[in-house]
Amino acid sequence: MKGDWLKLIRPLGITLLILVVLEIFSTALVPMLGLMKYRIPFNVLIILYLGFKMETPYTSLLILILQYTHSFFSIEGWEMGTIAGVIICIVISYLKDLLHLSSSVITIFVTQVFQSLWFVIVSILLYLKEENFSYIVEKFWRFLPESIVISLLAPFFFGILDVIWRAETDRALGDSV
Amino acid sequence: MRLIEDKDRRQRAILNIIVLLIAFVGVAKRSQTLDETSAFENILIDSFAPIQTSVTSLRTEVSSFFDNYLANISASKSNVDLRRKVQDLENSINAFEELEKENKRLKNLLQFGQGIGYKKILAQVVAWDASSDFRVIRINKGLTNGVRLQSPVVTSQGLVGYIYRLTDHFADILTVLDNNNRVDGLIQRVRAHGIVEGFNNEKSIMKYVSRAEPIILGDVVITSGLGNIYPKGIHVGTVSRIERESYGITQNVEITPAVDFGRLEEVVILSAEGDEQKKREWEALDQMDEAEENESRTNNSGRSR
Repeated sequence: MKGDWLKLIRPLGITLLILVVLEIFSTALVPMLGLMKYRIPFNVLIILYLGFKMETPYTSLLILILQYTHSFFSIEGWEMGTIAGVIICIVISYLKDLLHLSSSVITIFVTQVFQSLWFVIVSILLYLKEENFSYIVEKFWRFLPESIVISLLAPFFFGILDVIWRAETDRALGDSV
Repeated sequence: MRLIEDKDRRQRAILNIIVLLIAFVGVAKRSQTLDETSAFENILIDSFAPIQTSVTSLRTEVSSFFDNYLANISASKSNVDLRRKVQDLENSINAFEELEKENKRLKNLLQFGQGIGYKKILAQVVAWDASSDFRVIRINKGLTNGVRLQSPVVTSQGLVGYIYRLTDHFADILTVLDNNNRVDGLIQRVRAHGIVEGFNNEKSIMKYVSRAEPIILGDVVITSGLGNIYPKGIHVGTVSRIERESYGITQNVEITPAVDFGRLEEVVILSAEGDEQKKREWEALDQMDEAEENESRTNNSGRSR
């Protein structure tokens, strides 16, 4: 799958479908059940998976497509998430020899660390645009529970995405596909 | 050197740079107050939103099922017929009560703002924004129903927000809880002006209120009519906290919105006939500004030569 764009189309289609279903669940069902304050950012989870497991040079394009799909459900737009996602993938590509998603605990920990990096990048962009620090503080308090839920879901979701993208589960991140 | 030699790495680096550049341009250009959708986005949002509507309806149905039937499962067999009758009657009563409540709500909504010269469009909330950073709700009315961008949205309780993004059949409302939504507000009792900004899921804050204004807790905040979006006199909320520092010329006022966003089901969009005219006037003014800028640039370059 390394450089073959055509082989990415099918798993990408399925991933987009999963994202759409999860976004509908998150936007239509969760708020109606009374959870108004929090949303689960499934787009972040999928993008982190691509960063951790994909060896393709088209990762940035995949992130762009996922974020664009996410933008149909949020006025957040695709831009900030794309920037954060691409930067995180670049960081992961330099750290791949150190990162091994060999157990659920490590997967949860590593996902939490990179979500924190995501938060920092998006916060910097928001501050540059809005110049409103109190908004970022308020965002941080929402980020904590949301990111913990995402991290806890990561081992299960990464398992599903491994099947879709046919990634090898036990390999170290630095190993070639 | 590795980057130049390795084709994959080179391709990845080039794509990363291109995507980052496009995204940075997108961030810089993105408006926090308005989003005009492209035809493609229009089609996709209109395709996904009905599913959101169905999920919302399904939840209501399931909840109604649990409320009306499951609680009665343990009743004795001898009372089956009687229970069925009672159940049917209860269901009918529940349905009538629900209808009555809905009727009252809709009546209130339609009576609200009778004096305001706007066309009123009733809509139902179908979903919330996918990101918790934004307090945006999606409704089941769009361009084809007469909704226009930046149309104010209200309930019988007060102000909800305005139309931020619009497709043919659905629209997204930027609520007064969102910090990108700024409403020119007026404290009804003392006629003091300020800007109401969203703060979190329950509160808004009113900024730039002069320190000398004698505001007290419970004061009602209404829209001032300035800003070209909201008509004057719509109830925004009540003052729930006042912060006066020992320095500075303004005071921070916390507002509890009049609308209970946790229980929001129906809203009314106030669509003015003159919205299109207003938009065309703004566009004409923008074009005049651009023409003047271009002219001054041409003059400057001519002089420098």
